[in-house]
Amino acid sequence: MSTSPTLVDTTRSEFLKFRTVRATFIGLATFIFLTIGLAVLITLVIKSNWSHRSVTDRLAFDPVATSLVGVFFAEFAVGVMGARFITSEYASGAIRTTLAAVPRRVHLVLSKVIVLLITFAILSEIVVFIAFVVGQMIYKSGHLPSASLSDSTVLRAVIMAGVYLTLLTLIGFGLGLILRTTSVTISVYVTLLLIIPIIVNFLPSSWQDHTTKYLPSNLGASMLSPTQSSNSFAWGTATIVLVIYTAVIIAAGTTLMTRRDA
Amino acid sequence: MLKIDHLTKRYGETLAVNDLDFEVKPGVVTGFLGPNGSGKSTTMRVIIGLDRPTSGRATIDGKTYDQLKAPLREVGALLDAKALDPSRSARNHLRALAMANRIPVKRVDEVLEFVGVASVAHKKVGGFSLGMSQRLGIAGALLGDPGILLFDEPVNGLDPEGIRWIRDFFRSLAKEGRTVFVSSHLMSEMAVSADQIIVIGRGKFITSGTVDDLTANATGTVFVRSADATRLAQVLGDAHGVIEPVNDNGLSVSGLTSDQVGDAAFAAGIAVHELTPQRASLEDVFMSLTADSLEYGHKNIETAP
Repeated sequence: MSTSPTLVDTTRSEFLKFRTVRATFIGLATFIFLTIGLAVLITLVIKSNWSHRSVTDRLAFDPVATSLVGVFFAEFAVGVMGARFITSEYASGAIRTTLAAVPRRVHLVLSKVIVLLITFAILSEIVVFIAFVVGQMIYKSGHLPSASLSDSTVLRAVIMAGVYLTLLTLIGFGLGLILRTTSVTISVYVTLLLIIPIIVNFLPSSWQDHTTKYLPSNLGASMLSPTQSSNSFAWGTATIVLVIYTAVIIAAGTTLMTRRDA
Repeated sequence: MLKIDHLTKRYGETLAVNDLDFEVKPGVVTGFLGPNGSGKSTTMRVIIGLDRPTSGRATIDGKTYDQLKAPLREVGALLDAKALDPSRSARNHLRALAMANRIPVKRVDEVLEFVGVASVAHKKVGGFSLGMSQRLGIAGALLGDPGILLFDEPVNGLDPEGIRWIRDFFRSLAKEGRTVFVSSHLMSEMAVSADQIIVIGRGKFITSGTVDDLTANATGTVFVRSADATRLAQVLGDAHGVIEPVNDNGLSVSGLTSDQVGDAAFAAGIAVHELTPQRASLEDVFMSLTADSLEYGHKNIETAP
């Protein structure tokens, strides 16, 4: 009991908390199952009806995006996990014990962000690479066009899929910091990813051209597309915009936390 | 030294703590006494930095809680025994706290052993009874071997054996030179477990002192028995006593000393068969003190800007 604790100690403490509840492993299993499971399912479906596809369909076929489509389902699993990393503490009251041990709230948020960032960056990359590789193996087995990681744009797309999931975990966490209740946080998160795109869909098309590309899910699509399509950002810009969203949401949550009573 | 320095905490319209100003000394058990909702928990929450004071502050050796480098090694607090993640085991709960404050992990097993929950250390705390959670909370408070200990209503949920254990435990902590600050709304509990008492009501300081100080300053009642109780009641009423009939011909008189009651009876020519001064219990003192504070508190809130 000699030296003062540092950010390393609080981060280790948060990591211990992260891995000592069963909900973490249920969440991770869901996330892995959605990403890899859907890659298997969708690539198998495409493979089985390949012979019925028209020539134009075949030309438009994207072996990378189709193998990574599970990412757009897994984003809900990781967002919920990010949110719950803070909201579950408010739900149980454990936040008060946590803050008694780590009264500097910026330190606490930073520690939690580091835990999520490291855990989900590593896991997401592993999971999306497995999804990609399995998908390509299935395409190859059916003699469909497939992609290779030796193609740098393909490699980039796969890496960015992992980055996208990591950032969405942190967005979920940031919303949890702001809203504090699990159910409300998940509602807002789902609204952001699913409902707002539907609403935007009803806007006049001239408006849509300027707005849709800013939606998180479309930023994700831009990030993991090998080519840039019209009315969307290039992958680099899309990544920067999503990083800005994440930073702003977490900064807002941290500011609120330092001002509010626990 | 734990110091509450002109502390005020307002939640919206409600004034929970109103200019509290006192010190809690080491080496004794200090009771923090007040009815439910009098601001005890709020004060404790401000001490450990959970709530921000509206004005004033609470300091530990001159520092606010969030200025402490390793807070659990200076202040141990048990505010709400159920404030933990129900799906984590008792040991992992304490390990996380220890880690965040650089407390060696062997200390976790020591405190678990000490409070008697070592046998269920690997069980999820969600399944713990309130008594077991209290014990785990005490383990958490002791984890960093702190010089200052805060307990908010610690006897809640404990069985009689546990209550006795905790009283002895507070005494031994104080004997070791630590500051022990224990809140309760139960007079009787404070009377036996605290050396020094601070009484608050409606967020305001009322009084402080030892149990003896508090009861000595209060006027008790006088029990008087007479065959002519009805007339005696009139006479004593005229002498500004407050009379309450007890049984057939007894009267409980407050506001007069036993001498005054005896003299008044003699002057009126009434034979008195029994005349006993009754010492005020801490409970009586508390009731009268906080009753005043309730009215006072009301007035205060109305005139507050």
